[in-house]
Amino acid sequence: MADSTADMAAGTAHAARDGRGFLARHGNYLLLVPGVIWMILFLVVPLGMMVYVSFWTQTTFSISSDLTLQSWITFFSSDTYFGALLRTLKIWLYVLVLTFVIGYPTALFIGQVVRNKTVQTVLLVTCVIPFWTSFLIRVLAWRPMLGVEGAINILLQKFGLIAEPIEVLLFTELSVVIGMVQIYVVFMVGPIAFMLARIDESLIEAARDLGASTWTIFRKIIFPLSLPGVVVGAIFVSVMVLGEFATASALSGRKVNLLGNIIVTQVGSLKWAFAAVIGVILTVIMAVVITGLLRIVNLRRAL
Amino acid sequence: MQSNNLLRTILGAYTGLFILFLYGPFIVMGILSFQAGPEGGPQFPIIEWSTYWYQHVFGLTPPSRVAPLPIGEALLRSLTLAFATMVVSTVLGTLTAQGFRRNFRGSGFVFYLVVLGMMVPGVLLGLGMALVADQVGIDRTWWGTAFVLHVVYTFPFAFLVMLAIFNRFDKSVEEAAWALGVPPGRTFRKVTFPMIFPGVLSAMLFAFTLSYDEFPRTLFTAGSDVTMPIAIYGTFAVEIHPNIFAFGVLTTLFSFALLSVYGVLMTLSVRRAKTAAVQEEIA
Repeated sequence: MADSTADMAAGTAHAARDGRGFLARHGNYLLLVPGVIWMILFLVVPLGMMVYVSFWTQTTFSISSDLTLQSWITFFSSDTYFGALLRTLKIWLYVLVLTFVIGYPTALFIGQVVRNKTVQTVLLVTCVIPFWTSFLIRVLAWRPMLGVEGAINILLQKFGLIAEPIEVLLFTELSVVIGMVQIYVVFMVGPIAFMLARIDESLIEAARDLGASTWTIFRKIIFPLSLPGVVVGAIFVSVMVLGEFATASALSGRKVNLLGNIIVTQVGSLKWAFAAVIGVILTVIMAVVITGLLRIVNLRRAL
Repeated sequence: MQSNNLLRTILGAYTGLFILFLYGPFIVMGILSFQAGPEGGPQFPIIEWSTYWYQHVFGLTPPSRVAPLPIGEALLRSLTLAFATMVVSTVLGTLTAQGFRRNFRGSGFVFYLVVLGMMVPGVLLGLGMALVADQVGIDRTWWGTAFVLHVVYTFPFAFLVMLAIFNRFDKSVEEAAWALGVPPGRTFRKVTFPMIFPGVLSAMLFAFTLSYDEFPRTLFTAGSDVTMPIAIYGTFAVEIHPNIFAFGVLTTLFSFALLSVYGVLMTLSVRRAKTAAVQEEIA
């Protein structure tokens, strides 16, 4: 803070010294103008439009700007749509918990066990490399993995672990969860590993010298200090999973419909108002989730 | 200490399994892309090893019941779009980050406004933009409505990268140039830009790859001339064939080529900086 105040003082002094008037005093704002205008026009306006259109009147073939709550009532009174909302929340929760449980030990290894910066970077880059394949193709690649004649069933049968192929692996909610966990787990690992690598080692040594067990050290020092990473990871995963639809449509054979899938279908049949209602609901869920996660730690202070 | 070593080994082994989990589908995809064609399907066992599906991607095989992937033009569009997005978002990101080097009132608002662009799910933004286009009466095109959304998505990444670069940047060098009477434009070109170049390169890489693979934002806004990811999404509806895997392997190789170019440019720029420093020392 002291640093930025000094910066500001230096900036003001500078502007006063060369006294070039408007441009020197407001040049800073001019630099920001293009970016801000772009974001307002193409980010704020579309989102505002979505909220507005959700109150429009939808008839079978057209939409008019007469305000009504009809689309909202339809959403909450229909089992299909309300069910999709619950299913979205369920899958989001599964994926969030699984990415955390599966990702944390890896982050622990990268951030705490490996203390060499180069090895850490190599491991993280190794985790990121699959991202160089198109997202959609990576999703599709799960099909030959999970199918009845898929790689997992073949391997399990070869090792004699199962007699009959497992059928629930593909075209179920399970396959959607597996696919999403694999795609998004890296977004959990990265931030946590980053926070873990920043922990001052002398802190842990001090605790050990005072006789703390490994478990106590983890519980009292390592985990609390990694929490900001967990929160950032959870925000990334939540935002991406809640808006998902491609994984669900590729791995569930269009049987598992998330809110995102319904938006796509509704837009396809030009039911704009209805799609907008679901969009607003998703936005609200996401805002609640992010605010809730930010309650856990103060990110601005922690980072 | 004994138990600690055991713990380390377990975590190491676990990380190995984790990486296998990340690469599993990828490996399966690589193997299946060499499936025999055109009768071989996208599953095990491999009937016979062949490069049939690679030839199929390039349209070198005789016509069969499997339609060729609708790439070509879509790929060209995606690359053009990624390039334009890269240029615009890097410029916007650099300008905005430069603006953040002085504290100003409303900086929190601008910061969150920009970062919001990478947080809002693509499907919502695509929907909103489609609604706006519908009401204003503009056509939805990949170079118009889709392009502006791509920039909304990649500009925050460029901005954050540049912000990190400017934070670590020694201001006194620039101030020395000003003090010596070098005009601001020239200072930027000769002093500031070479110093921030690695950051600019990273921002460009981010923007290009994100835009190239962008899908949910494009789905509702690209109109009838589709980009590469939309073309692939189109194949979801029908039966999939190993040609999509062959194509996946090829695009991955392309990505690696891109990454290598980035690596080479980065090394060169670091080396040039080092040489300059050594020369300065000698002088």
